Amino acid sequence: MSPLPVSDADLQAYADGRAPAERVPAIEAALRGDAGLAEYVADVRRQNAALRDALDPMLTETIPQRLLDAAMRPPSRWRRMLPPLAAAALLVLGCTVGWFARDLLLQQAGTPTTFARQAALTHVLYASDANRPVEVWASEEKRLVTWLSRRLGFSVHAPDLNSVGFALVGGRLVAGNENPTALFMYENADKQRLTLQVRKQGAGPEETAFRYAVEDGVGVFYWIDDHCGYALSGQVDRTQLLTIGRLVYGQLAAAADAAPR
Amino acid sequence: MPVDAPLPQPELVAAIPRLRRYARVLTGESTRADDLVQETLARAWEKRRLWAAGTDLRAWLFTIMHNVFVNQRATARRDAQSVSLDDDDNGVARELAVRPNQHLRVELGEIVRELARLPAEQREVLILAAVEEMRYEEIAKVLAIPIGTVMSRLSRARDKLRRATQRDDAGAMPLKVVK
Repeated sequence: MSPLPVSDADLQAYADGRAPAERVPAIEAALRGDAGLAEYVADVRRQNAALRDALDPMLTETIPQRLLDAAMRPPSRWRRMLPPLAAAALLVLGCTVGWFARDLLLQQAGTPTTFARQAALTHVLYASDANRPVEVWASEEKRLVTWLSRRLGFSVHAPDLNSVGFALVGGRLVAGNENPTALFMYENADKQRLTLQVRKQGAGPEETAFRYAVEDGVGVFYWIDDHCGYALSGQVDRTQLLTIGRLVYGQLAAAADAAPR
Repeated sequence: MPVDAPLPQPELVAAIPRLRRYARVLTGESTRADDLVQETLARAWEKRRLWAAGTDLRAWLFTIMHNVFVNQRATARRDAQSVSLDDDDNGVARELAVRPNQHLRVELGEIVRELARLPAEQREVLILAAVEEMRYEEIAKVLAIPIGTVMSRLSRARDKLRRATQRDDAGAMPLKVVK
C-alpha cells in the first residue's frame, strides 16, 4: 500500500517535530527525493529557532507588580463597577458645575460685554425682518411707550432721531437675560436700520462710560446710566453711531431730568 | 479575602511571562500589552468556575487573552479614531525591535520585523506553534478556528517570512561582512 502523498500540513508538522509517527517515513522519503522540500523544512526550523531566540529574552523580564497582584487574587468588585461609577460621578459633577456655571454665566451676561453681543444679535434678528421688524409701529408711539414702560417697570422714551435722518419705525419687547428689554427701531432713507435697546440692569455698575464694540459686523454703542442699560446697534460706521449715541443719551437724560422723581 | 474555587496562583504567576510575550506580539506596545495581560488575569479570576482543574491553564489563559484582544480590536475598529491595522503592526515592529540585548537585535531584528508585518491572524498561529510550541489542536481551541485553518495560516505565515528573509539576505550582505 503506497502512503498518502506528503501534504503541506505534513511538512509543517514535521518541521515542528509534531508529525505523527506513522507519517514520518513517508515525509522523510519525500524530503530525500526533493531537495526543495528539504530546504523548506530546514528554513522553517531556522525560522522557529530565530523566533524563539528573538522572543525568549522577554520571558526573563521583571514582572510588574500590578500583574503579580492581578494573578494573586480576583479583581475587586469595584473593578467592574468602576467604569459605570466613574461615568455617573462625571455626570453628577458635570451637572453641578453646569448649574453653578449657569449662574456665573448669567451674571456675566449682565456685564456690558455680553449686553453688547446680545444687542447685536437681537438687532440682526429684527432689523433684517422686512415685514414685521417691530411689534407696534411708530404710528402708535404713545401706546408703544406706555406698554414698554409698564413691562420694563420704568419709564422709557423713544428718542427722536429725525435730526440725523433716522425715523422711528416702532418697537417691541424682547427677552433679556435677566430683565425684559425694550427695542426701538429706526430707519433712514437708505433703509438702514438702527435699534436702541433699553433694559433695567441687575447687578453691576450704576453707570458706565460709552463703550463701543463690533459684534458679528454690527457696531454697538452701549452704556449704563442710572441702572439702565442702553445699546444702540447698527451697521453704520463708528463715528456716525457715536454721534447718534450721544444724541440718544442727551435726549434720555433730558427726559429723565424732566420726569417727576 | 476568601476565594472560592481558587485558581492555582503559582501557575498563574508562572504564566505571566508567556502571557506578556504573547500580548506584546499581539499589541506591539508594552503598556498596552501589560494592560491586556492584566485584563486577561482579571477575566480568568471572574470566569474561574469555567476552568476545569487539571487541564492546561496556559492554554486557557491564552484563549481568554485572544478573546479580549479580538474584542478590543473590534471596539477600536468601530472607533473612528482607532489606528489602522498597519499602524498597529508597525507598532509591533517598533516594540519588538527594542530589545535589551543589542547583539540579538542586530542578528534577529530582521525576523522580528517580518513577524510584525504579518497579519495578526497569521502572527498568532505562528507564535503559538513555533514559539509557544503548542499542539495544533490546542491552537485551534485557543483561537476557536478549525485545525485546517491553523495549518493554512501557519503555512502562509512561514512562506511570507521565508520570502522576506531570503529577499533581505541578498540586500543584507554588507551587514554580515561588518559582523
